[in-house]
Amino acid sequence: MSFEPKILGIACNWCTYTGADLAGTTRLQYPQNLRVVRVMCSSRINPSFIFRAFQLGADGVLVGGCHPGDCHYNTGNLYARRRLAVTKKILEFAGLEPGRFRVEWISASEGNKFAEVVTEFTGQIKALGPQTKFKIS
Amino acid sequence: MAVSFQQIEEKLKTEARRLLESGQVSLVLAWGRGFDEKHPMPYVAKGASDVDGIVFNEFCTHNLARYLVRYPRGTKMAVAVKAADSRAVVQLIQEDKVKRHDLVILGIPVYGIKNPKTGEIIDGKTTCGLYNPVLYDILIAEEVHGQPVSSPYAVLAEYEAMDQDARFAFWKKELDRCIRCYACRKACPMCYCDPCFIDQNKPKWGEKSPETPGNLMYHLTRFHHLAGRCIDCGECSRACPVDIPLYLFHKKVAKECEEMFGQAAGMSIEDKPVLVNFRMEDSDKILE
Repeated sequence: MSFEPKILGIACNWCTYTGADLAGTTRLQYPQNLRVVRVMCSSRINPSFIFRAFQLGADGVLVGGCHPGDCHYNTGNLYARRRLAVTKKILEFAGLEPGRFRVEWISASEGNKFAEVVTEFTGQIKALGPQTKFKIS
Repeated sequence: MAVSFQQIEEKLKTEARRLLESGQVSLVLAWGRGFDEKHPMPYVAKGASDVDGIVFNEFCTHNLARYLVRYPRGTKMAVAVKAADSRAVVQLIQEDKVKRHDLVILGIPVYGIKNPKTGEIIDGKTTCGLYNPVLYDILIAEEVHGQPVSSPYAVLAEYEAMDQDARFAFWKKELDRCIRCYACRKACPMCYCDPCFIDQNKPKWGEKSPETPGNLMYHLTRFHHLAGRCIDCGECSRACPVDIPLYLFHKKVAKECEEMFGQAAGMSIEDKPVLVNFRMEDSDKILE
């Protein structure tokens, strides 16, 4: 049986989640490996969510937010950008493959981009194989 | 120029006595005698009669900025700081945990502080490598010049060159030894959350038993919480009973923050901590 990764998607309510909705209503095909959690803003994401997701068996984490400057709350994703950049560096230095964590800015009208990103990211995680480093066995 | 620890101790006592007698401060944070010469302890002088207990020698590694947040707001305090410790005070002022006008900062430019465990001189390898305090009211000794200045981040090159699997194996080996005594948290001047995220039960962020998953969760999140705030005093690693080189990870995060956001922690009271600040011009490249 081929490896089917579990990917956690954390999507901002106003852009990426609506974008995902659009991808759904326009009947775009994308892999089913993504499990989406909706948050009100990308700056709602506590970096511990991401560490915890990897511990509880996620093979990849995809964070989606509004384009910088487009945030529903004006500045939320600008804080998130700095914070998640640090998270990425920490995961990298701890020894996790850098490809397993990704942040993308996807607006509400970019259903196509959402499908593309998910397809590409799933392919990338499939190539990396199961995540065993952080996972609690 | 050799640093005279005896002179510093005398000057420290004089200043502490003057400040306490004039009523300018209600307590002085300094170092006192521990169970022997090699192990001084943090010491609080609350009156002129306590001042004789103050000592200063080459083993006074403790970062006394740690104790500033333990007193109620508005307490007038004097604190003795070495170079890295003064950055911690600056950082605490930035975060509005203490007020600048409540503090009298006794800056001690010093070279040759030794780690009591190993006897090695503490330099840029484990700390920020500065010799002179960045913020002070009263300078206790002459500024130190002419000592070797090493880049605080030079020590990282070896670990950055490792491949991911080797680096993970290294951190796993180190963090597996953690006994979860939380000495790092207790020694850290920036760790003042009450309760700490790891002590919370709802939500439960990580396992509390000293095993790999919980250790990883605790330390990684702690490194994240100290991102852009760690002032690289190295106290966490010296406090650690099992000698985990926590300073390496803190240095790495500090280095990345400095490169990405162009600001080192605790250098000026005008700055804002990098993670509660943003610029529109921040590049998306930092996420790659």
